[in-house]
Amino acid sequence: MLFSWDYLLQGFSLALSPYNVFWALVGSLLGTLIGVLPGIGPTSGIAILLPLTTVLDPIPAIIMMAAIYYGAMYGGSTTAIVVNIPGESASVPTALDGYELAKQGRAGPALGIAAISSFVAGTLSLIGLTFFAPALASVALAFGPPEYFALMFMGLSLVISLSQRALLKGLVATALGLLAATIGQDPLTGDVRLTFGSEELIAGVSFISVIIGLFAIGEVLVNVEQALAYIYKHKKLEWMPSWADIRQCWGAMLRSSGIGFFLGLLPGCSPSVTVFVAYDVEKRVSKHPERFGKGAIEGVAAPEGANNATVSGAFVPLFAFGLPTGPAMAVLLGGLMMYGLQPGPMLFQQNPQFVWAVIASMYVGNVILLVLNLPLVGLWARIALLPFPVLGPLILVFSVIGAYSVRYLLFDVWVALVFGVIGYLMRKLGFPMAPMVLASVLAQMLEASFQQALLISQGSFLIFFIRPIAAAFMALAFLSIVRGVWSEIRERRLEVAEEEKEI
Amino acid sequence: MKTQRAGDIASGIFLSLLGLVVVVAALQIKGAPDVRMQPRTLPLILGWTIGIAGGILALRAWRYRGADRVVAWPDRAGALRVLITLGSLAAFLLFLEPLGSPLGTSLLVGFLVWYLGGYRPIYAGLLGLATGGTIYLVFIRLLQLSFPAGPLGR
Repeated sequence: MLFSWDYLLQGFSLALSPYNVFWALVGSLLGTLIGVLPGIGPTSGIAILLPLTTVLDPIPAIIMMAAIYYGAMYGGSTTAIVVNIPGESASVPTALDGYELAKQGRAGPALGIAAISSFVAGTLSLIGLTFFAPALASVALAFGPPEYFALMFMGLSLVISLSQRALLKGLVATALGLLAATIGQDPLTGDVRLTFGSEELIAGVSFISVIIGLFAIGEVLVNVEQALAYIYKHKKLEWMPSWADIRQCWGAMLRSSGIGFFLGLLPGCSPSVTVFVAYDVEKRVSKHPERFGKGAIEGVAAPEGANNATVSGAFVPLFAFGLPTGPAMAVLLGGLMMYGLQPGPMLFQQNPQFVWAVIASMYVGNVILLVLNLPLVGLWARIALLPFPVLGPLILVFSVIGAYSVRYLLFDVWVALVFGVIGYLMRKLGFPMAPMVLASVLAQMLEASFQQALLISQGSFLIFFIRPIAAAFMALAFLSIVRGVWSEIRERRLEVAEEEKEI
Repeated sequence: MKTQRAGDIASGIFLSLLGLVVVVAALQIKGAPDVRMQPRTLPLILGWTIGIAGGILALRAWRYRGADRVVAWPDRAGALRVLITLGSLAAFLLFLEPLGSPLGTSLLVGFLVWYLGGYRPIYAGLLGLATGGTIYLVFIRLLQLSFPAGPLGR
């Protein structure tokens, strides 16, 4: 795959043809609409809308599919911010601060920043994709099971250390999340684990149910208990981000673009991991890390940016090797193959026109989404104005739909209900929820890559420490654990010292 | 359970017991030949982790003598609201298959809006019907997802 200005310009002339722009617009609009429906994430969004694209020629069809994907992702963050329902794991960090902002009457700025950050990171990472794809493709090949395991291990230890003063509770939450995911069949051997005789549990616990239960249902229960009249606490409402908000998020947008893009190159590294890494980095570089989780606007900009950047990065392995990096990409791959296009090294030689048209259309799609969504921000933000006795029951209904539409199993909804109660108790007892969610999302990949790594090394654990990339991730993971333990001990000492002073 | 300390002791003990149950259950998972990591290994590690961490949590809270934080448990009215909300959701799920999601949703939303908000039953009922109708039109008719449609599906 070689970069050439000729191909790129040709791509733009195709992508900017009114016919293709029209389908990109339709795709963005439909994608956003379906993404805003709670529980329908990008993956099911594309899958549902895929049949609509079959009436088109391959190029407009793929352009429309990519636009649907972008649109659905953006729509998903809307529900995370406004009603605290992250439709997929990648929107979880967005909900952490976004919903807090909505409660403060700042849903508008949060949504606006989400749109702007998605646009900035999406465009920056597309520039990366355009110019460096060939060189970057080889990075993806250097990643084997040991590297994946080390990367995910680092992700988990970062999230545990995010829980700061409740390190032990963070560890418990992580273990519980992993435990929930091990229920059912072993990914490699197929042995049935921890089902306690239940047939329904053999299919496993869907992590979407875990997310919806912990966040949406748990939050509704807390609000119901307090007989809340409105979710927002302040009378003053803001509809649009101010320049100060944008300035404050500038650094977060740039950093998350880099993080999302480079990690997105790795097959298997889905947005679920990169958004947490970006959120963690932002919290660490911030001068006021204590604001995170309480409505820090950078806490929305970082994961939203990383999410989009990861998707652009993920197109490199998809085009270059035919490797989908996640379920949504796998559906897109299916779409490509439906049109007789086999992604892989030959795609660039046989259909350069097609590849560059799609890349150019992604630039166009990013602009369309920004133009389309900024005016809609005020509309979505007004959802937060509904009185809670109306909004709460609607959130419950949407939670049911979200949990149900993953596999069409009523059992998944019961699981969400159970995790709703668990989420309620965790809020009361001060257990952090983010580690539990991330653990339940990553568990299967974590275990499978660990197994495969040990197969390669014939059982030696050294493999995680002698391969340079894996070793670097492991070192970072241990550093963040040590740092977390150290800061907990230090704070404890400070507290004891202060109490002694008071006495 | 009124204070963070008591809450930590209780949840710590519960977690220790949970860890124990997981360890016992994990030991009964059959092993597979030719695998580096047995299917029971991860559940075993997790069981031990949860059990031991729960024990430490309980012990640390038990020995804690500092100023205590109060856990904001609901008062009687609040607890009742939570239980009724949970109960109505459970009843909704139990009757979802025969009723179908449009009708079931209408009833659930209508009831909860009336119960939580104290709106006039007619408004609550209309809001419920509007939600159920939207679900029928968007999810069942337009997107053709296989939701239980109930009487409307026939």
